[in-house]
Amino acid sequence: MSSVSDKASLVSVVDDDESVRESVPDMLRVLGFVAEAFPSAEAFLASEFVSETRCLVLDVVMPGMSGPDLESELIRRRQRIPIVFITGHGGGSVTSRLLERGAIECLVKPFSEVALLDAVRTALGWSSSGPVTAT
Amino acid sequence: MAGQTPDRRNGWAGLQVRGNGTAADAVTDLLNILDSIELPVVVIQRDLTMVAFNQAAADTLGVSPVDLGRNPRDISALAGLPALDRCCSDVMASGVESRIDIRDKRAWFVVRIFPYRRGDGQGAGTVLTFTDVTAFRASVDQAVYERECTRAILNTVADPLAVLDADQRIQSGNRSFYTMFDVSPDEAQRTSLYELGKGAFNSEPLHTQLQAAVAALSIEKLIEVLADGHAFQPVEVDHVVTAKGERTLIVEFRPLSLPGHSEGRALVRFQDITSRKQAEAAKDQRSEKELRRSEAFLAEGQRLSSTGSFSWKVVTDEIMWSEELYRIYELEIGLPVTLEMIRARVHPEDLTSVETIFERARGGMNDLEWQYRLQMPDRSIKYLHAIAHASRDQDGQLEYIAAIQDVTAPRLSEEALARARSELANVSRMSSLGMLTASIAHEVNQPLAGIITNAGTCLRMLDATPPNLEGARETARRTIRDGIRGSDVIARLRALFSKDEFTLEPLDLSEVTREVIALTLSDLQRTRVTLRSELAEDLPSATGDRVQLQQVILNLLRNASDAMADVRDRPRQILIKTERDDGEWVRLSVRDSGVGVDPASINKLLEAFYTTKSDGMGIGLSISRSIIERHHGRLWAEQNDGPGATFSFSVPSERSSVPDALSR
Repeated sequence: MSSVSDKASLVSVVDDDESVRESVPDMLRVLGFVAEAFPSAEAFLASEFVSETRCLVLDVVMPGMSGPDLESELIRRRQRIPIVFITGHGGGSVTSRLLERGAIECLVKPFSEVALLDAVRTALGWSSSGPVTAT
Repeated sequence: MAGQTPDRRNGWAGLQVRGNGTAADAVTDLLNILDSIELPVVVIQRDLTMVAFNQAAADTLGVSPVDLGRNPRDISALAGLPALDRCCSDVMASGVESRIDIRDKRAWFVVRIFPYRRGDGQGAGTVLTFTDVTAFRASVDQAVYERECTRAILNTVADPLAVLDADQRIQSGNRSFYTMFDVSPDEAQRTSLYELGKGAFNSEPLHTQLQAAVAALSIEKLIEVLADGHAFQPVEVDHVVTAKGERTLIVEFRPLSLPGHSEGRALVRFQDITSRKQAEAAKDQRSEKELRRSEAFLAEGQRLSSTGSFSWKVVTDEIMWSEELYRIYELEIGLPVTLEMIRARVHPEDLTSVETIFERARGGMNDLEWQYRLQMPDRSIKYLHAIAHASRDQDGQLEYIAAIQDVTAPRLSEEALARARSELANVSRMSSLGMLTASIAHEVNQPLAGIITNAGTCLRMLDATPPNLEGARETARRTIRDGIRGSDVIARLRALFSKDEFTLEPLDLSEVTREVIALTLSDLQRTRVTLRSELAEDLPSATGDRVQLQQVILNLLRNASDAMADVRDRPRQILIKTERDDGEWVRLSVRDSGVGVDPASINKLLEAFYTTKSDGMGIGLSISRSIIERHHGRLWAEQNDGPGATFSFSVPSERSSVPDALSR
């Protein structure tokens, strides 16, 4: 599963909630992506996958470093990774602020698999035909 | 002489007498003379021994023949008169008689010591005569004592007093007199009355008065003087220069008749009326001025406190207004006031209550206090607070004196404050509700997100060729797990709403209610809701959590008040009532005159999250119901026959049989 092209499409999922951390990477893998899950922003930054990650599915509210904090840290490190935020708090103002700062999408939990797929594809700059053509 | 009663007379043995008759005759004469006088006589010779004494000396002093030849010191009768021998020596030496005052145990004597001369002119001793002055001295002492008493009394008299002789010379005065005119008694005696006080008394009326007083020595004269009519009239004298400055005095003369004095004397009394005169002079001026000033004070006070006053004679409807009241009513000052004018300004909604007040006022002596509003021509509203006191005027007619304060400004700021406070409370309630909602949403959405994603994954795995059955099973299991997590969240929330801390105590539902009323009264007044309470005094005590029950009561009151917010066409009234319910239960009900409840939704009303109101308070009713149910009680709502609804709850009392269920 870890071909070069697979590595090129690595999607990292960072969420403190176990349900999300397990279900979302599984879904992404079923859809044909390579996915890794991390329980916190700090764990992600400490991992070897930062530079390989092509898309970040990132929870907004987490204990310790929050989603937006991680986004700022990546900008500081000049690691430009497209980010799809996911949040349990459906707040219009937070969503629009995140989008203004350059996020690809901000999905409110619970979100549909279609919404997730669209957002990740957009992040990877792929056409709607999906990663299947790329593999 | 030896032949005649020598035992009595041997005291005079050897006395030489010259005369025309025989020597014996002469001696007999002398002895008779000596014994006949009451004055004790004693002869002391040169060697200071007694050689003779007369009968009076024996009777009065108690000397006896055995004392002859003894020094006076050694004579027991004379031993109490010390220094007698020394005085005798002095007289003998000088040849000049002397007098001494001597006192023995009983009496005072004036002892005259006279040189005894023989026929040859040689001094041979002394003759002592003893004059008893005891009674005289006593009367002198008494006179001195009485004079001192009189003087002391006179000196305490505040009015100056003086005694004048016929030449207006001051004979004596009391302390006030000397002080007032700043003279010593000695100076005064050389001074005429007319010279005192810079000559202020040197006037014709005083001359006349003084002459009359001095002349009125005899009764006849006095009658004559009194008949004149002008005598002894007090005379007012201005500009008398005294130690205290210029004074106005009243001078009065009285004739003074002194026994043994032929000369006329007069008592003169001075009365200082300066202060009284000044006070009188100032009084008219002052009372006028003070009246004006207190009127000004009153007007200023009324202005500052925005308080007007009025009087109302009930029978005649005669009404007097203060200027400030005209200002408050915005009427031209001085306009005759009628009840119609007053009514015309009253806010239409308050007209009925003002009429009620008028009726009560007419009904009898009542002290009244009421609040009402004015509606001014420009539609602005004024809030007034009035207090009226009933009294009877001089004709016994009922009259009211009232003060009316314009409390618009404090009222408006009070309302603004209350509004701000309730907005703040609302904001904090909404924000805590918002936060609660958000956290509920977050807690529930997490597992929901997992469930939906897992289910999608599961479907895709099953749809794949070949189907990934193992993966599908795994995600299905996770879906179940997330579903359980979601229901756990709901269970936790429910536990949160029905907290387990529950302080049970016996309580009086009426008292609990009174505490809540006290808390909400100002709120209700602000929203123009009248609260009537009928709280039973003899309720059996209920067992419950005081704070939680109070929350329920507070919630019912607030709901009732809110239900009447849009009521304009009828009074906003709440009746809160506690009573004994069937089967030893106690019941509280809150009846409002608001919009009422729709019978169709009456049951839904108590369900959580259901509300007919826009601000989401419906949750309060469901929490209230859960609290009452924890007390094993019942909460229900009913549509009134008239407008509005009644919310009631009933909880078991201590006497009923369920209390042990509470401890569960």
